[in-house]
Amino acid sequence: MPLLKVEGLSKSFGGLQAVSGVSFQVAEGEILGLIGPNGSGKTTLLNLITGCLKPNAGAIWFDGENIVNLPCHQICRRGIARTFQLTKPFLNITALQNVMVGRMYGRQPASSMKAAEEEALALLERVGMGDKAHTLVKDLSLMQRKKVELARALAAKPKMLLLDEMMAGLNPAEVDDAMHLIREIRSWNVTLIVVEHIVKAILGLCDRVVVLNMGEKIAEGTPQAVVHDPHVIEVYLGKVYA
Amino acid sequence: MNRRDIAFVVSALIIAAALAVVPSITVKESVINLLVLVYIYVMMASSWNIIGGIAGQVNLGHAAFFGLGSLVSRILWTKGWPLSVSMILGALVPVAFALIIGAPSFKLRGVYFAIGTLAMAQILFITTRNLFPMISSLPTEALATYSLAPRYYVALGMTLLTVLVVFWLSRSRWGLGMVAVREEANAAESLGVSALQHKLLALCLSAFFAGLAGGVFAYYSAGYYLFFPFFPTWTFDAVMATYIGGTGTVIGPIIGAVFYVLVKEILALRFVELHPFIFGTLFILVVLFLPGGMIQIWSRLRRLFRRAAPAPSEEKAMSESDMVHDRPAVE
Repeated sequence: MPLLKVEGLSKSFGGLQAVSGVSFQVAEGEILGLIGPNGSGKTTLLNLITGCLKPNAGAIWFDGENIVNLPCHQICRRGIARTFQLTKPFLNITALQNVMVGRMYGRQPASSMKAAEEEALALLERVGMGDKAHTLVKDLSLMQRKKVELARALAAKPKMLLLDEMMAGLNPAEVDDAMHLIREIRSWNVTLIVVEHIVKAILGLCDRVVVLNMGEKIAEGTPQAVVHDPHVIEVYLGKVYA
Repeated sequence: MNRRDIAFVVSALIIAAALAVVPSITVKESVINLLVLVYIYVMMASSWNIIGGIAGQVNLGHAAFFGLGSLVSRILWTKGWPLSVSMILGALVPVAFALIIGAPSFKLRGVYFAIGTLAMAQILFITTRNLFPMISSLPTEALATYSLAPRYYVALGMTLLTVLVVFWLSRSRWGLGMVAVREEANAAESLGVSALQHKLLALCLSAFFAGLAGGVFAYYSAGYYLFFPFFPTWTFDAVMATYIGGTGTVIGPIIGAVFYVLVKEILALRFVELHPFIFGTLFILVVLFLPGGMIQIWSRLRRLFRRAAPAPSEEKAMSESDMVHDRPAVE
């Protein structure tokens, strides 16, 4: 049984069809890449899966349960966590307190604030932010905020983690670090959906890739097959290169 | 509880104990009256701070809770109910009211929530003025035996209770969730925090302690118009005291309320006509130059000293573990 099964998911904003009839599955332990040109509906799809937005049609099965009508916070407690493309940290509290929110409220929440603090500190250390634990997040750089956000999502003990362009803006060495970290997260029995524009990361990380264009799924397969798919090349580069 | 938390509770108890001996060392009624006013303001600011500061929902209908609390307590108590029962019901009725208005008003966000709650409180104010236009006076025999000391102790005790509950809240899981909702509701939801649940809890706690303050007012006052506690001034005074002291912190609203009452009394005596003007100016200056409130003076001084002589990192960690210092006042 797949961990996540999306069936015929559609969402429109007024006249704009942001996601239309998208279906795919994610098996447990898999890293699924989600790619597509700007405005193809990747972030909307993540918002639908996490319950931030409600679809007009379709079903989302997670761990055997249709979660389509559950509120966002219930979906998190069932085991789906995410990071945001435009970071949404809690600015006026410390990095540690940011992560503690995930630990106190997510799946299998900590029994006490003290326990949550210790586990949150360990997670911050793992993402390389241990020395900034007591700094207010508003005093951190964008990259540091992204790391805090990742630690915060991991603190919710997700079965599935959705990463929305976490590597955008990283230099090649940092991309290598991030890829290493994502593989490690997978080894903790976390299934991942990764939205990314960096081809090297997609090729190096993902088991399978789903390609969206104009809200529709246009290709699905191994990373190698997908990047050589003429249709995919066409939507990215135009017909001449396909 | 860590060392710092214990230090807070112990010092709160010591200050309360010191204040408790005031009635036995002074015979000046003006001092007692002024302190009771300070206590009511501390309760009003601290309770407003729960919803406005910690949970970040600017509620401009706080007077409704204070008014309902005083109305219920006063009517029950003057009808002969025990004071304790009257005051508890006076705190619970505003909670029921908060639950009724909470669900629809939290559909509104930001400035619309502020306007919605203000309108709601004004409706209640006008309705009460129409229904209870009379002065509520104590019966003659009660007036003859009126004594300030028990009222002083009730006010002090309820204030201590309010401050300790707000302190507990600020260190609890619920407080953390409320702060998360304030800072970024969507991210909080994505981490498992129910925004509506936390806002409702904050509003109910806020209503409870504002209602309790209303009960203190009803017990303390010899005679007043029953609609007087519904005046919007009660809201704005609480909001201003909180902002002046520092929103979202435990100590800020206390400092703000003490400062507010004292300065207001002095200004009202010296500049009878001008004092609202001076106060408005002061409020604007605080928002502009001390957006975190007076409590920010302390953290700025600390930072200044730290720059002069780098403190050990443990101390830094402790100073920043307060959930909300340095928060911008207006968003």
